[in-house]
Order: sequence, then structure tokens, then C-alpha cells
Amino acid sequence: MIQHHPGDELLLPLAAGRLNAGQAVVVSAHLETCAECRLRLHTLQALGGALLEEAEPIPLDPGAWERTLQRVDGAAHEPAGAASATASRPHPLLPAGVRWPASLQSCRVSDWRWMGPSMRYARVTVPHDPDSALYLLRIGEGRSLPRHTHGGIELTQVLCGAFDDGRSVFGPGDFDAADEAVHHQPVVQAGATCVCLAYVGARMRFDGRIASLIGGLIGM
Amino acid sequence: MPTDDEIKTWMRAVAESADRPAFAALFRHFAPRVKGFLARAGTNDALAEELAQETLAALWRRAAHFDPARAQVSTWLYTIARNLRIDHYRRTGGVPAEVGEDWDPEQQPADAHLTPEELLHAAQRERSVKRALAELPPEQAQVLRLSFFDEQPHGRIARDLDLPLGTVKSRIRLAVKQLRRILERYQP
Repeated sequence: MIQHHPGDELLLPLAAGRLNAGQAVVVSAHLETCAECRLRLHTLQALGGALLEEAEPIPLDPGAWERTLQRVDGAAHEPAGAASATASRPHPLLPAGVRWPASLQSCRVSDWRWMGPSMRYARVTVPHDPDSALYLLRIGEGRSLPRHTHGGIELTQVLCGAFDDGRSVFGPGDFDAADEAVHHQPVVQAGATCVCLAYVGARMRFDGRIASLIGGLIGM
Repeated sequence: MPTDDEIKTWMRAVAESADRPAFAALFRHFAPRVKGFLARAGTNDALAEELAQETLAALWRRAAHFDPARAQVSTWLYTIARNLRIDHYRRTGGVPAEVGEDWDPEQQPADAHLTPEELLHAAQRERSVKRALAELPPEQAQVLRLSFFDEQPHGRIARDLDLPLGTVKSRIRLAVKQLRRILERYQP
């Protein structure tokens, strides 16, 4: 049962196409597992449709119709049903049975790298936004990150396992947005390794190196 | 102004029999609105023209994907135009080496893929959104519009409404909450 969802201050820019690529990947990973939020997003996209309908029409250039026909000439109709293969697929980086987010489909993901006992991270590179600071974090049960705060916004989607950061428990499918105001110490609960997809603000805020970023977090 | 039913009939004709006159009717209605929407959202004239043509070309190519039970044509076209625009800015504003990677604008993560059981509720809501937007207090409607139309929506909302930036997030939440509340009232 999903308890924590992205707020409308994230869903609205996503619907409007104004959310940066890294944040969009994390919020989209949540949407894939949460029907309630898909419905919320649908309403906000309908708002886009309503604004499109009420937009002041601007006549197209002369010849626009002919040029549009040229664009489609010879183009075969795409058959229905071919779109968006979002089927659950296993992935070597995740424990068996855990769904790999479809929003990572076009991203490049590194192998697991060591950042502490029972702690690993993998760097996620977003196409067209290579500076986006996006990571998979894998933390063993009972392990904790030291108490820390954030330079900017931190978005987390729990893929499996659960952690408790003193504010609440975040389990599979849960989403969390933490900002400068949040000081927390996530502790992974007993029973399973926790894997999260995390956006930790613009990389430029740190010194550009994952070691110092994560190291800063875990006190290396 | 064509009715919703006319628009859906044209869509069906395009999807099922590649009907050119129906496509022309959809083009006449929607292309200038897509262009107007994009221009309002800060897209320059040449790019708005280009993306409007490409959006309508996508309508032709993907007509078979359109499910009238799932979305209004205007919402569907909105998401296509939005994704083409994101795609354009990522390609031109991104790192040149990244350009050329397969990036299907139809597969933007932002698309709400609803299951059949979610559809009925969603479709009912969607039809009411325009009405609900008109009922919102002007300040809240403005917060929503700026979110779609402004390059730096948060900064702009703060400036236009004379709010501290930190307050903008709660204003957005409030405006969306109010929109949802009005939509709930329309539920049968």
C-alpha cells in the first residue's frame, strides 16, 4: 500500500512539461506503480488540453497544410497497440521480483559501486541532461545513512525494502521529496535490502564528484 | 466551432480509413490552436509553426493509438505538442554528443498510462476540467496558467502575485486542490 505520493507542485510541472529531466524520471517511476497519481496527472494534462482549446488561434503560414501532407506522405499508419512497452522486466541490478522502472529505459546506468559496508550506488545518466544527479542506492537492512540535510531538493522513489527516517516509514512504491528544511537519518528496516532511485539536486551544487557527494552523505 | 462529436468522428475517419478531408478538418481546427498555445508558452514563431505542423502530422500517423474513451482529442494533442517541444529543447539545449540517441517523444515518462478501470473516472473528470478552470478564483486560475505558460513558472508566479518564492509551492498546491474540489462536485 503506497503511503507517500509526489505533491501537486511536482505533478503540475510534469504535466506542463516544465520539470527537469532528472526529476521527471523519479516522479515517473512513482507514477508507474501508482494508479492514484496517474489519475491525478491525467487531470492536470486535461488542464493542458483545456488551455490548448482556449488558446488564441494563430494562423499557420501559407503552405503549412501542404507541408504537413509532405510530412505524412508515405508514412505508414502506426498500428494500434505498439506504443509504450512498460511491461515489468527483471534487471541484474535489482533483487529478483523487483520491477525495473520504465522511466529508466533511455537512461544509462552504471554497475553497483562501493560506498560503505552494505552500501552501494549506481550512477544514472539521463539522456540530454547528463548533469542531472540521479542515483540508485542500495542499502542493506539495519544500515543507516548519517544524519544529513540537502543543498537542494532531494526526490526518492523506493523500489524495494523500506526505510524509516524519523519522520515516517517509506516502503516499496513510496515517494519522498525532501528540501533544505529536512534533516533526516534514513535507517533501512530489517527484513530486506532497500533500493531507491534518488535525485539529489543539481550536481553543480556539489563539487561534481559522486564520491564527495555520497561521501558527504555517509561521512566517508 | 466543431462539436466534440464531430471531432471524434473525424478522428475515427482518420484512424480507420486514412480520410484526408477529415484530417483537413482537424488540421483547420487544431493547428492554429496548437501554434497559439505554443506561442503563448514562449515558443518563437518559427518553432511554434514547425511544432504545430509536426503535432498534426503525429495525429495522422498515430491516429490508431487514440482512444476516445481515454482522453479528449485536445488533451491528447496537448501531450504530443508538449513532448515534441521538450524533445526539441533537449536536442538543441542538450549536449551535442547525446543527440541522436533514440528518444521517442511519444514515450516521454510523463504520459499517464491508465488502465481500463481507471478510464471511466478519468474521462468524466476530463470533460469537466474546462468548466472547473472557469470557476476558479482568478488568482488560482492564474497560478495554473502560469505553470503551463511561463518558462520560470515559480519565479513568475512569485513576481506576478507578489509572493515570496517559498509561498509559491503552497499556492500551487492550493490551486490544484481547489480545482480537484470543483471536479469532485461534477462527479455523478
